[in-house]
Amino acid sequence: MAGSYDRALTIFSPDGHLFQVDYALEAVRKGSCVVGVRGKDVVVLGVEKKSVLKLQDDRTVKKICMLDDHVCLAFAGLSADARVLVNKARIECQSHRLTVEDAVSIEYITRHIAGVQQKYTQSGGVRPFGISTLIMGFDSDKVPKLYQTDPSGVYSAWKANAIGRSSKTVREFLEKNYKEDMTRDETVKLAIKSLLEVVQTGAKNIEIALMGEDAKIQRLELSEVEKVVAEIEAENEKEKEKAKPSQQQ
Amino acid sequence: MEYNGGAVVAMVGKNCVAIACDKRLGVQAMTISTEFKKIFQATPKTYLGLPGLATDVQTLAEKFRFKINMYKLKEEREIEPRTLAHLVSSTLYERRFGPWFTEPVVAGLDKNNNPFICNTDTIGCINFAKDFVVSGTSTNQLYGMCESLWEPDLEPEDLFETISQALMNAVDRDCLAGWGAEVVVITPDKIITRTLKSRMD
Amino acid sequence: METLFGITGKDFVIAAYDTKAVASITMMKIGEDKSRNLNDHSVMLYSGEPGDGVHFAEYIERNVKLNGIRHGLEMSPKAVASFARRELADSLRSRKPYSVNLLIAGYDVKKDTPALYWMDHLASSAEVPFAAHGYGAYYCLSMMDRYHRPDITEEEGIKLLKMCINELRTRMILNMPDFVAKVVTKEGIRVVQL
Repeated sequence: MAGSYDRALTIFSPDGHLFQVDYALEAVRKGSCVVGVRGKDVVVLGVEKKSVLKLQDDRTVKKICMLDDHVCLAFAGLSADARVLVNKARIECQSHRLTVEDAVSIEYITRHIAGVQQKYTQSGGVRPFGISTLIMGFDSDKVPKLYQTDPSGVYSAWKANAIGRSSKTVREFLEKNYKEDMTRDETVKLAIKSLLEVVQTGAKNIEIALMGEDAKIQRLELSEVEKVVAEIEAENEKEKEKAKPSQQQ
Repeated sequence: MEYNGGAVVAMVGKNCVAIACDKRLGVQAMTISTEFKKIFQATPKTYLGLPGLATDVQTLAEKFRFKINMYKLKEEREIEPRTLAHLVSSTLYERRFGPWFTEPVVAGLDKNNNPFICNTDTIGCINFAKDFVVSGTSTNQLYGMCESLWEPDLEPEDLFETISQALMNAVDRDCLAGWGAEVVVITPDKIITRTLKSRMD
Repeated sequence: METLFGITGKDFVIAAYDTKAVASITMMKIGEDKSRNLNDHSVMLYSGEPGDGVHFAEYIERNVKLNGIRHGLEMSPKAVASFARRELADSLRSRKPYSVNLLIAGYDVKKDTPALYWMDHLASSAEVPFAAHGYGAYYCLSMMDRYHRPDITEEEGIKLLKMCINELRTRMILNMPDFVAKVVTKEGIRVVQL
């Protein structure tokens, strides 16, 4: 198999791979799906919430985390690793404010998080973070931002993207259906619609957080998500109705 | 000791002990608060008095709360007053050459309900006493009062009266202490806590 | 020469500071902000060594905000004051202690009560109904003693504050420029120019 090239993290395999990083990406692929969509003056994060056990308190399962007043992060992969990374990011947000009086820019905090993730691919005695993140927020320029980071430490900006389980399917769906300058409702709808590609159980397993120009985070109530899901289902029915006669002809 | 002011006294009675403090917090002659407590419950039957520099009073109160809780968790029993006295002593002696500016008083009943009182100096030298201990800015006045009022084998209510009169009359002759007092009498089956009104000038 | 005031009332706290920035005997500036909002319901006023105050208050502010984001809950004024006291007490016994006097005014949303904490540069802290720092304290504490009641209204509180400031303007040898008050209520923090 991989021989001994995956024993120590800091060793390349002959074909230039860091196996531990590849395995971390595998952990991400097993994680629940997360989408992020940018609209005209809004940005939305949606996550597939694993259904909690009957006796579990679902408020303690946090997949969308605030980093600062204007930055929000959602992750796919190992929650325990995410907690540590989120903590580091939150400290950096406040530390940045303390030293230069300004809030972090979304790109800055993304770069910082990616920097931390990179460090864990190049130091001894550690393993990489088993998570990818989607980071959304607003800078002072009032333009919605959406970034992604990987266990390898790569980061990139997106109009819309998905990470985690079946992210490829969802990303393709987003590529097909993304429009420029979407309104708030359209953006939320697209996020939910794309999630429904992989979430079979509907609204109760979807969590949505969005941020408007005021840079305040808003979490959608279950009822609001249900409403949008119902809307989407109704549209799908109509599509089918339309499609049926044409098939018969 | 003279910066913030304050006084603590403890007395032994018949199968009971009492500890009392004034409630003033000042900055030299200026009174800031009249609700500043200097005695803290360590265990159900032990109290710790900490007169002295207010910042150290508060820091040490937190420190001892931590240490007493850790003792309880590790030993699965309450700390004995005599053990607490030695804990206080060693904690203070840790800062032999840069001391905490407080002279703690320990008062309580041990596991056989025998009264125990003691006080230490700022670096933790323990003074065990059979009758009474005094501490803070009003030590001279308190010694005079205790020396004349205290007698052996006082019952709880008599002990309360004795310690209250001793403290109140002592702090009235001290500009840096007074402004109300708190008295705690510890008996085998109950703890009596009373807040005293006194001269507010 | 700097003066800080704090008064609690039925459902509010007023915390006021003079806006002088002083270096030795020279007044460098009027309009200095000597306060920091620690979260939506607590504010910290500071005086003392210039620089120390700003640095300490901002350090506390950032930590309080971090705590809020981490736990999704606002720290109560009592928690804020305990934290600030511990930080100041630790610094007191370090190589270079902060030299700042503080007032922490807050509204405890859970207990529905106002709270005011007085803290000096030695990190002695006390919860008080009213408080003052600086030379102004010598003039004004007696005034507050006389006119303060626990059930005072906001208007009466501001009036009392103005009486105190007037006293300073007549009795202190120094020029007493504008004061700024911050009023903390259940609704949040509000600035009042005096």
